[in-house]
Amino acid sequence: MSSARACVSVIDDDALVLRSLDRLLQSRGFDVRTYSSPRTFLEQREGDSPGCIVVDLSMPGLSGLEVQQALAGAADRRPVVFISGRCSVEASVQAMKAGAVDFLTKPFDETELVEAVRAAIEKDRASREGLAERATINLRLATLTPRERDVLGRVVTGKLNKQIAAELGTAEKTVKVHRARMMRKMQFDSLAALVRAWTVTQPPPPALPQA
Amino acid sequence: MDSHSASSAGASPGLTHWGWQFGPVAGWAAPALLVAVGYYLAARVGFAFTLQPYPISTLWPPNALLLAALLLAPTRAWWWLLAAALPAHLLVELQSGVPVAMVLGWFVSNCSEALIGAGLVRAFVPGPLRLDSLRNAGVFLFGAAFIAPLVSSFLDAALVSLIGWGERGYWDLLRTRIFSNTLAGLTVAPLILTWASIEVSRLRTARLVRYGEAAALFAGLLTTCMVVFDLPQIDPHTAPALFYAPLPFLVWAALRFGPAGTASAIAVMVVATIFGTVNGLGPFAGSTPQETAREMQLFLSAVAVPMLLLAVVLDERARVELDAREQRLQLTHLSRVAMLGELSGGIAHELNQPLTAILSNAQAAQHLIADKSADPEILVEILRDIIAADQRAGEVIRRLRTLFKRGETQFEALDANELVHEVLGIVHGDLVTRSVEVAPELAAALPKIHGDRVELEQVMLNLVMNACDAMAGVAPERRRLSVRTRAVDVADGAVQISFADCGPGFTPEQYARLFEPFYTTKPRGLGLGLSISSAIIRSHRGRLWGSSSPGKGASFHMVLPSLSSKGR
Repeated sequence: MSSARACVSVIDDDALVLRSLDRLLQSRGFDVRTYSSPRTFLEQREGDSPGCIVVDLSMPGLSGLEVQQALAGAADRRPVVFISGRCSVEASVQAMKAGAVDFLTKPFDETELVEAVRAAIEKDRASREGLAERATINLRLATLTPRERDVLGRVVTGKLNKQIAAELGTAEKTVKVHRARMMRKMQFDSLAALVRAWTVTQPPPPALPQA
Repeated sequence: MDSHSASSAGASPGLTHWGWQFGPVAGWAAPALLVAVGYYLAARVGFAFTLQPYPISTLWPPNALLLAALLLAPTRAWWWLLAAALPAHLLVELQSGVPVAMVLGWFVSNCSEALIGAGLVRAFVPGPLRLDSLRNAGVFLFGAAFIAPLVSSFLDAALVSLIGWGERGYWDLLRTRIFSNTLAGLTVAPLILTWASIEVSRLRTARLVRYGEAAALFAGLLTTCMVVFDLPQIDPHTAPALFYAPLPFLVWAALRFGPAGTASAIAVMVVATIFGTVNGLGPFAGSTPQETAREMQLFLSAVAVPMLLLAVVLDERARVELDAREQRLQLTHLSRVAMLGELSGGIAHELNQPLTAILSNAQAAQHLIADKSADPEILVEILRDIIAADQRAGEVIRRLRTLFKRGETQFEALDANELVHEVLGIVHGDLVTRSVEVAPELAAALPKIHGDRVELEQVMLNLVMNACDAMAGVAPERRRLSVRTRAVDVADGAVQISFADCGPGFTPEQYARLFEPFYTTKPRGLGLGLSISSAIIRSHRGRLWGSSSPGKGASFHMVLPSLSSKGR
């Protein structure tokens, strides 16, 4: 999954603009796919593949914001870069709130576009890597026995073997054996690495309510 | 437009201004010299118009010339001008063997007429007098051409009797003086006043046809006057009818050449008539020379007054109409510019699209060339796209420039479908950003319409923008504007253009006020769009109306007569 090359999907209803962005991004070494309308994009999109989306904000039919909503509904997590021929404050605020990576006003310089696209791809890569890591750790966690889990849950909170033994009502020696087995199954050789991996699998704290 | 107003502001309108902008003495020298020379020549003319053997002229222009000079000059310059006339007066009168006391007496009475007339007029019309309104003309005719000669003639006749020059009685002298001076006031003074206020630039830019027309008018007038007034009288019974013969020419002058043309025509008639009478020709042949002169003077005065007033009234009305039209043009232009201002966001979008394409294409080409990996075929494509984008941006600018332009209405043969395309091109960016979908249904082979491109585009733009505003509350995917053109069977062909939206529509109560100026249903509207639009369509002899069914949106339709039905 992570080995697939990142691809930039560009959506603009203006054929001249679409071709020029295609050429520019290709000349800067990106893989590009172009779509002349939001509808064709939603119909033909390549699923949740690595990369990002560059979409024009104002198009007849569906607008860029609606594309963003449709993607969120389809659990397509690719970051979105908006481009617009008219600088509307409300639209840009709305887009940024909905999680757009960047909002570029046409005509933009290539460095602006390339930086925005790079940042978007990087964000996508990071989130995908995070996902992959979490999946691996979850697999390993599944191999633990209930007792090993109990030990793990207490080790990561910084408890000593003696305390764990007391809590579980066993000998400290038994705890040591469980702990060693658990560390082997989780494939970590340091407590620090284990704690980091553990936090990744935990659900994030609830988001702050929006103002 | 601009060049015209600039030149009229820059050109000095004849006598009125020249001279008085300079220093206090040097500035008055030129007008004073002009008055002196004019006075001398006018006195020579007056002598030529004398019915021998009496020393009283049938027309005495020097007084009227002085009067006109005072009316045109600032009050503080009056004494200079009167002083300038004194040497001319002495020079011309002393040649004729009149006693010095009488010469000086006449100078006093001449000056008093000019001063009374100018003083009376200035009391009611401050500043240099222009015969450009009925009020000014009325004040002038009553104060300067009637009261002033009347009052000063008492003084004049008294001086003549006192000094004992000539053998006639006081009342006889008085009567002759009044008529002679009044006629001069009615003919010479308006001639100077109207020509002084003529803008030289307008004479210079007038078309050759105008000069031809003026030449025809004056040739016709002169010929007629000479036939009527300068030939031996054929039959005394036809004389009253013949008096009316020059009238058509005077009316022609009043209708077409304004107060200056009319004053000139009156002057031509006066000179021709006096010439005939002085030489014993024409219809005026009273029992005594005084009676002959009085008959003629009364006739000429009776013709001059209504003709001058007619010319002034027509001129004033034409000016008011011109102002009103200019204001309408200005208002139409302003509302158009305001509308384009509202469209600026969409227009920016329309320009930014090709600019983006150009920039991105050019930067892509830079990389392709730098990498030496460029396929020449791709570079050719890139250049082709750059050219296309550039042309598109140019097209946006061209459309805008047409609408921003402010000029006279120009009627030409127009294709309604092409107008619709242009308008949709201008609003394209706005429609896109407002998510309005356009569905044009344009009939093929429409008859050409006769109209002003800019004004008709303005009306359509107004209707499209109203439709878009009306749909602001509709869900974006349902915002649809339909545009239809079709030929309608009204007599010999007309074209209907309709715009239908799917907004909330309007109630009959709203519709009743929709075309009123300053009535608006928009939170930030001026309420001028539809009232200006309907005025434009009316001036195209077309019709603009709206229809609405509740919940199904509103439609506006305009019907314009086709080119073939023009002029019917």
